[in-house]
Amino acid sequence: MSVNAWLKSHRPLAGAALKRTIGLGVGQGLLAIAQAWLLALILNAVIFEGAGLTEIGHLMAVLLVLFLVRGFTVWLGERSAFQAAALVRSGLRDQVFRHLQRLGPRYLANERSGALVEMLTKGIDDLEGYYARFLPAMTLTMILPVVILVVVFPADWVAGAVMLVTAPLIPLFMILIGSSAQSKNQRQWKELARMSSHFLDVIQGLTTLKLFGASRREADEVARISNAYRSSTMQVLRVAFLSSAVLEFFAAIGIAIIAVFVGFRLYGLVMPMPDWLMALPEITYLQGLFILMLAPEFYAPLRNMGIQYHARMAAAAAAEQMIRVLDAEPEARSAPDANPPDRAASGHASLQAPRPFGLRFQDVHFSYEAGRDALCGMDFEVPAGARVALVGTSGAGKTTVINLLLGFLSPTSGRILIGDQALADLDLEEWRSHLAWVPQQPRLFQGTIGDNIRLGRPDADIESVRAAARRARAADFIEALPAGYDNLVGERGAGLSGGQIQRIALARAFLRDAPLVILDEATANLDPESERLVQEGIEELAKGRTLLVVAHRLATVRRADRILVLASGRVAESGTHEMLSASNGIYARMIAAYGQTAPGQADVWNPERENDR
Amino acid sequence: MKELLRLWSLFRPYRGWMIAGTLIALLTLIANVALMALAGWFITAMAVAGVAGVAINYFAPAALIRLSAVVRTAGRYTERLVNHEATFRLIAELRVWFYRHLEPLAPARLQQYHSGDLLSRIRADIDALDNLYVRVLVPVAVAAISAVLFFVFLLLHDPLLALSGLAFLLIAGVALPVWSQGRGQAPGRRLAEDEAELRAAVIDGVQGMAELTIYGANERQAQRVEALGRRLIADQARLSSDHGVTQAAVGLSASLSLWVLLWLGIPMVHDGTLMPPQLAMLALFTLASFEAVAPLPQAFQLLGRTLAAARRIFAIVDTDPPVVEPTAPSPRPERFDIRFRGVGFSYPGASTPAVADIDLDVPQGTRAAVVGATGSGKSTLFNLLLRFWEPDAGDISIGGHSITAFRGDDLRSHIAVVSQQTYLFDTTIRENLQIAAPEATQEAIEAACRVAQIHDFISELPDGYGTWVGETGVRLSGGQARRIAVARALLKDAPILLLDEPTEGLDAETERSLMQALDRLMVGRTVLLITHRPAGLDWVDGVLVLDNGREVARGDSKVIPEATQGALLRDVAGATA
Repeated sequence: MSVNAWLKSHRPLAGAALKRTIGLGVGQGLLAIAQAWLLALILNAVIFEGAGLTEIGHLMAVLLVLFLVRGFTVWLGERSAFQAAALVRSGLRDQVFRHLQRLGPRYLANERSGALVEMLTKGIDDLEGYYARFLPAMTLTMILPVVILVVVFPADWVAGAVMLVTAPLIPLFMILIGSSAQSKNQRQWKELARMSSHFLDVIQGLTTLKLFGASRREADEVARISNAYRSSTMQVLRVAFLSSAVLEFFAAIGIAIIAVFVGFRLYGLVMPMPDWLMALPEITYLQGLFILMLAPEFYAPLRNMGIQYHARMAAAAAAEQMIRVLDAEPEARSAPDANPPDRAASGHASLQAPRPFGLRFQDVHFSYEAGRDALCGMDFEVPAGARVALVGTSGAGKTTVINLLLGFLSPTSGRILIGDQALADLDLEEWRSHLAWVPQQPRLFQGTIGDNIRLGRPDADIESVRAAARRARAADFIEALPAGYDNLVGERGAGLSGGQIQRIALARAFLRDAPLVILDEATANLDPESERLVQEGIEELAKGRTLLVVAHRLATVRRADRILVLASGRVAESGTHEMLSASNGIYARMIAAYGQTAPGQADVWNPERENDR
Repeated sequence: MKELLRLWSLFRPYRGWMIAGTLIALLTLIANVALMALAGWFITAMAVAGVAGVAINYFAPAALIRLSAVVRTAGRYTERLVNHEATFRLIAELRVWFYRHLEPLAPARLQQYHSGDLLSRIRADIDALDNLYVRVLVPVAVAAISAVLFFVFLLLHDPLLALSGLAFLLIAGVALPVWSQGRGQAPGRRLAEDEAELRAAVIDGVQGMAELTIYGANERQAQRVEALGRRLIADQARLSSDHGVTQAAVGLSASLSLWVLLWLGIPMVHDGTLMPPQLAMLALFTLASFEAVAPLPQAFQLLGRTLAAARRIFAIVDTDPPVVEPTAPSPRPERFDIRFRGVGFSYPGASTPAVADIDLDVPQGTRAAVVGATGSGKSTLFNLLLRFWEPDAGDISIGGHSITAFRGDDLRSHIAVVSQQTYLFDTTIRENLQIAAPEATQEAIEAACRVAQIHDFISELPDGYGTWVGETGVRLSGGQARRIAVARALLKDAPILLLDEPTEGLDAETERSLMQALDRLMVGRTVLLITHRPAGLDWVDGVLVLDNGREVARGDSKVIPEATQGALLRDVAGATA
């Protein structure tokens, strides 16, 4: 859909407010005509009929009423114009943000948050100009000048003809200018998005820049990007200023021609006209003054549309970004060659299996980009209530398996079964409500620590929150904070250490009380003792639940019911710790590798042995 | 008011531009008023002359009308160009100025701010200052000068007319702006804050989407974004409605001014003290004169938002950096021994010190480890050594020079850090590496990556070193990011190396290859490692065991088991109590 069509298609969102705006605009135009007529009457009476205040008092009274009514319509018009745009903006912000959520993390990996932020803030604001100003201006352009022509022609066809001839020049010129302005607006938007993404990146990585002494250098980059944005903005404005100057000029020319035609005939001068043209009609001062006062009103809507054309351009540049996002399809539903028979009816079933449920990967293939398979024939089963560990080197496919289970990716072929149902058939939102997940680098959200733990259960009472925190061994440090669970935390956990953030994320998972718990390196960043305690908490949690753990430190997987060793996108070995370490396979080599790690920190710190001391 | 003066002082370098802009704007305005007034006079005079049959010089006024039309059009164009150019140049400079004040505050003073909030300051708040420069300063100057000129012009005709004209101009140009400035203050402040919150909410919603999705919190985040959006729009609606009021009121003032002029002028025409063409001229002049004051109410209404933006900007600019940079040039140490003496430090607002009474010596070329449980104060030692914070007590020195004698950047140029969390910038792998050494050649980069065991992975990528890593490195795994950090440290080639759990969260094979890489990196450098894994530290020369910010043991790696046992058991007792 073209940007223009897209913008228009959202017009119904503006609803009655837009119609009201246009109606009020027409009303203002009519009032202006009446006002011009009254003024002309008054001046004519005073100047040519020797009238005093007593004779024209009633006209003066009507004029006063007109002024008040006009002021009132101006106010109402402004309000309803804003309202029309507000309805569209509010609706669209919500729509775009929710669409981003449907697109999910996979899509966002290729997007820049800073640019998305601009789209949802300034981009949405930029739409205002289109719905509040440009659309009404465009409609009024088609109404008011016609009305004025209808009034002027009977009074003086010469002035009417001048108006008729000069008026089309204005939109014509707009189109000429518009073609170059469009690309300039797009460039300006790109510069803005680049600037915002860059600033966000710099702000989030400022400490790293400082570590490398690069933060001062960065000032030059800030200057460069700010100047690029400035110059792209000025390019847009130059076109806008030039076009409004040209419009003003045309309008002024039009008015001047009319003034000359009127003035010369009033003075009785013979116009230098070719003979074949009919003699110009005579004109009275009343008519002349009336027409002269109407002339600016005639050109005003045309001029206004020209000026608001700039607003349309800004809106179009912002809309283009929104269309790009809204046109993107959620990946999970558009995988081209994903089992079409399953797909056809996919995504609405709710989970049937009773908790705890088991799951199975059947010959699952997945690739992030064509030709490079991340998973090639992943085949394994996690029995209901089991504790299963995924191990393997980076790039073996552990994270891909997790992302498939979380529903962020869907297999290019093969099936994932939950109980007896294909994951592809399940309603994703419903499916996710059965999951708790702790990622490698958990994120804290704006709000209190309590809110962060409550993420998956917003209505949980403080007792449950405390209990979850205790299980995650987070209660002590949280309660030592000045405001305890009401302590505010920022996005990076402001002042909390990596291990503390990790434990808050674990408490979040504990509170969630989900039948399937997925932990991706959940005990990294913890010292061995905390890790042991957290591990105990996890063991407690695992009762009556299915637990899937990704682990790098093999000590944490020893007690798993089954260990899956992934290599090159498939399961290379599986079994218990004892079985695998006895066999002469990858796992055994990994165990051996720990022993050799030197001068590293091999994990010989076995909690159980430590306890025996 | 204080903010206004400060903003004004920032504008100082552009005063010349502004004076030029004001003069052109004034000329434009006068041309416009002259055009209208002359046109009214002209056709009335022509008509009167036509009726009376007297001769009239119509060439001069017609030429003046044409001139006014041209001056008006050209003037407006030039004036806008000059004023906007000056303002946007200033704004671009202010962004750099703001950044230069922001940078020294990281990380210590910025912890409490969401990145969305800071983004809002450097982007939207700085942009909001344009209102002051484009819409307030120049228009106020133009309005003030032209109001005087208009008054004098009317005075030439009649004092009463002049007083009435001035009164209505003052209503529109002073009373209405004062009113709308008052009304705009609270919504303006809320707009600045809500915009920042909206940015933060979108960033949380986008960068944290995976967790929000799994925890079923997406809907709540969407509602939060929607609610903030609605709050913004509600305040904008309030401003827009007020703007409608002032717009109507300015129009009404102009109309009433005209009405009063007619009321006073018509009897004058009647008794011959005012010529008819003059009445027409004054009528149109009155209407046109309001162009001088028409933009002021809205400009003053937006002043609330502008001043809120200014306050948010100054709040950052006025924050004292956590460390004071020395003015003298930094020492150039010959040796790189690290020495902590009686170092103590508390984070602001914390009830207990993060570290207290720390003594630590790492002689040049040796390796030391600081061991302790999560939260025992290890990272604080790094933050102090890097001069991100200033110790409350004691002193830290490098090669015999107190680090307070170093400028922060100079100090950090001697130190390379590999930490557990590697921030990767939203650019290519190559540029992420070049942060450490902007001039590094491709060969040097590849050599570093070979040592860091990441070259093979990178060269298998379709775009190789030109691969875009994505925001916060989302497209690389934790292990890959860590190895890039090691390569960065290699490229930086600093005499001191700080390691913060460099192998945390890596699988055994990756860890082993990384440790081999680190082994080569550590050769000949002074190394300080912080770790919560007390095992396998036989490769370090000295160990300091910390608990709750205090030393509990020191010596070689043999002291660790006993020391940690005691310290950690107490933790256990606390945790299970």
